[in-house]
Amino acid sequence: MLYPLGYVFSNAFFTADGFSLVFMKLLFSSPNYTIILANSVNLGLTVTLLTTLLSLPLALLLVRYNFPGKGVLNGLILIPMVLPPFVGAIGMRHLLARFGSVNLLLLDLGVINQPIDWLGGGSFWGVVILEALHLYPIMYLNLAAALANIDPSLEEAAKNMGASGFRLFRTVTFPLMLPGYFAGAIIVFIWAFTELGTPLVFEFREVVAVQIFSMVTDLHQNPMGYAFVVAVIVLTLFFFYLSKRILGGGRYEMLGRGHVVSAVRTASVRVTVLAYVLVLGVSALALIPHAGVLLTSITSRWFLSVLPTEYTTQFYKEVFSQDLTLLSIKNSLLLSSLSTIIDVVLGVSIAYLLARKRVPGRGVLDALAMLPLALPGLVMAFGYIAAFSATPLDARINPVPLLIIAYAVRRLPYMVRAAYAGFQQSSVALEEAAMNLGASPIKTLYQITFPLIFANLVAGAVLAFSFAMLEVSDSLILALKEQNYPITKAIYALLGRIADGPYIASAMGMLGLLLLAGSLFVAGRFFGRRMGELFRA
Amino acid sequence: MVSVKFDSVTKILGQYRAIDNLTLDIRAGELFFLLGPSGCGKTTALRSAAGFYTPDEGRILFNGEDQTRVPPHKRNTGMVFQNYALWPHMDVRSNVGYGLKMRHVTEAEKRKRVNHALEIVQMQAYAARMPNQLSGGQQQRVALARALVIEPDVVLLDEPLSNLDAKLRVEMRTQIKDIHRKIGRTMIYVTHDQAEALSMADRIAVMRRGRLVQCGTPQDLYRLPQSAFVAQFIGGTNLLHGTLADAGELLTVETPSGIVRAKNGVTGMQPGAAVFCSVRPESVRVKLAEVSSNAPPCDGTNELMGEVLSIMYLGDSEEYSLRLADSTIVRAVEYNPVTRKAQIGDRLALQFDAKAVVVLPQEDLSDSLAAAQ
Repeated sequence: MLYPLGYVFSNAFFTADGFSLVFMKLLFSSPNYTIILANSVNLGLTVTLLTTLLSLPLALLLVRYNFPGKGVLNGLILIPMVLPPFVGAIGMRHLLARFGSVNLLLLDLGVINQPIDWLGGGSFWGVVILEALHLYPIMYLNLAAALANIDPSLEEAAKNMGASGFRLFRTVTFPLMLPGYFAGAIIVFIWAFTELGTPLVFEFREVVAVQIFSMVTDLHQNPMGYAFVVAVIVLTLFFFYLSKRILGGGRYEMLGRGHVVSAVRTASVRVTVLAYVLVLGVSALALIPHAGVLLTSITSRWFLSVLPTEYTTQFYKEVFSQDLTLLSIKNSLLLSSLSTIIDVVLGVSIAYLLARKRVPGRGVLDALAMLPLALPGLVMAFGYIAAFSATPLDARINPVPLLIIAYAVRRLPYMVRAAYAGFQQSSVALEEAAMNLGASPIKTLYQITFPLIFANLVAGAVLAFSFAMLEVSDSLILALKEQNYPITKAIYALLGRIADGPYIASAMGMLGLLLLAGSLFVAGRFFGRRMGELFRA
Repeated sequence: MVSVKFDSVTKILGQYRAIDNLTLDIRAGELFFLLGPSGCGKTTALRSAAGFYTPDEGRILFNGEDQTRVPPHKRNTGMVFQNYALWPHMDVRSNVGYGLKMRHVTEAEKRKRVNHALEIVQMQAYAARMPNQLSGGQQQRVALARALVIEPDVVLLDEPLSNLDAKLRVEMRTQIKDIHRKIGRTMIYVTHDQAEALSMADRIAVMRRGRLVQCGTPQDLYRLPQSAFVAQFIGGTNLLHGTLADAGELLTVETPSGIVRAKNGVTGMQPGAAVFCSVRPESVRVKLAEVSSNAPPCDGTNELMGEVLSIMYLGDSEEYSLRLADSTIVRAVEYNPVTRKAQIGDRLALQFDAKAVVVLPQEDLSDSLAAAQ
């Protein structure tokens, strides 16, 4: 994992003559490149802002009030997170095209008389909206946790001093939420900043991610690819640092938990209606792209009409009959299974060392295992392909080993966290009791520890597997030959085919969505209510 | 039956010495208590006996055989954990049978022994239950059965009753003592509850800050504590501070409230030493002070004057709290109170025999006071 990173750095700074900053200078002085960088930062910031606006009211309503059906709404909020925006973008493109459903509907209703070019202007807003609708659940999880952790007596004290309403929120509640907010914001920002799939589908090429993607093909002639990757890493670290600085070096300690009165109130009818309207509205908005995908996948005729005129299941059959798609499904299954096995073995071992042993270098191990969370997948993929070219692991000869490694490394943090949580929850005394009665350490591990944390292991493995199945950055960059295409790259390739390509791509996208939703449901079953913790910083 | 010896054992946990040069001789078949306030090292000592900690210095011997480097699963000890540590994924029968499975006991034999163990703790009816279907007291019995069924050389109990409610705790004392008599195995029992230790133990080792303070029978510790800490920690006592005036047959102590004479004391103290006089509340009698009290105490009986601060009626007894001339508070307990002798604010004479006083060197007691709460 570290080797590719080091390789990228050295290539970005060293020319044949030695250390040089010439590429970095070029990156920040050439207007072409600065526009690209600015676009990406802009994208990240706008998405972060939008997710904040979406999820803050949701968090306030759902954490502070009790009303019938709260659990269902809570679940509904999280759904968009599991639907990859890459797939949603396909549907979005269809709905928002010049003669797509939205324009046609507005024309029919007489609201407009000229079709609006939604996707024009470099598609910036299309990408922003889609990513915001995808990422707001992550923001919501962090905000809700932060809000729930605030000691109610702190707010009561402020009320006692005469603060109320918005002033109370601005002066006490929000400052106390800030650490949680920044934790969520940094994840959302980095995600949006380096997202590759969505801009690619929208053909919004002027962002860092897409640039890096296209530079992979000539990375030996053009060192700008390295420079871009380094810029991404530096910017990522910078924002991480910034968020830590703003936190003032740590979290607020919640002092003195005396008599805690629950701050949850029973909602009035008005608040309940508001909550339902907000949650259902936002969820519906977030699901529109995917509804578009669903419609596209079962349509045989859809021209110049709001909804399709004829339906068919033909494209689902095509998925299972064409070589490209069939092979990609097989590839994805194989790659994901192998990488999941690696994750389980490595993840459990690391988590065990972290939770149960006092090994030297514990902190370093922890940081290393969590590093892939902070490093954009794009950076890692680029590093892999560059560092291992002209070795037996060269992705252009046989990308399979690298794909497996990349998948495994990317999802390792989830597995480590899941297993670590399990080790933490099951008391050490349970293991000691077994050893005391004569079980050797190995036997204890198999007969006591593993059965006890089984649910966590399944949840972690299912997550690792399903995310690997729909992994975008690594797949697009590393899989260079058609025979090795995983599902996501096949979808991307299909989108480029004129005739039936997008339809088959949609059908495949739907299948992928079903798989992901199903496996997350299974993982949730095993993991219970604590699943949200996996997505927090 | 197996004897256990701690031979100058030291265990360092993090920065401090959790146990510091601890030497104990636990006799075979004995119900031996490790008693002390939290953080005194008693649990560390127990876990060292089980093999979960390896001592940094010293040795642990079972029947003279060195166990210091033997891993936990080869020691044949049966431990009852404070939170019971029943495996939630196994039913009662599998929990209890686990140690026998590790010892490759035949299925039929295992069944017989598990049934027998459950019978001892009166849990036969619950063999098929899962741990989460049991009450705290029932879980405690299963944990005990699980430790006993393997016929361990030593039974180790880590505050086994601390998670039970008060009534059940007292009931279980008798039961554990009965079980100990029946199976006759060496038991090491850790607790911070001095009443538990006094009522059950053959012998008690009192620990403080990782060190052994005093070891002896409950009677020894209660009657002849060798330090103010032990006197305070076991049973509770009145400590009158003063200066040792004469260390003859009868010890004479000058306290700010008057002269106190004592039969017992720690040996080797020199006149002039700062001391505590320990007097148990039940040894203090209160009398209305009709007579002038400035007369020196006659042979063997001490008398001090005090003002009543509070009187607490407890049914079988009445507890007086009195303030001496130098503001020291003294508690006195009168059993079978029939009529109330005094009112708050009255001046009373406190009388106690020289036999009931133990003279001890002064020491810092901040930790034992906190523990006694």
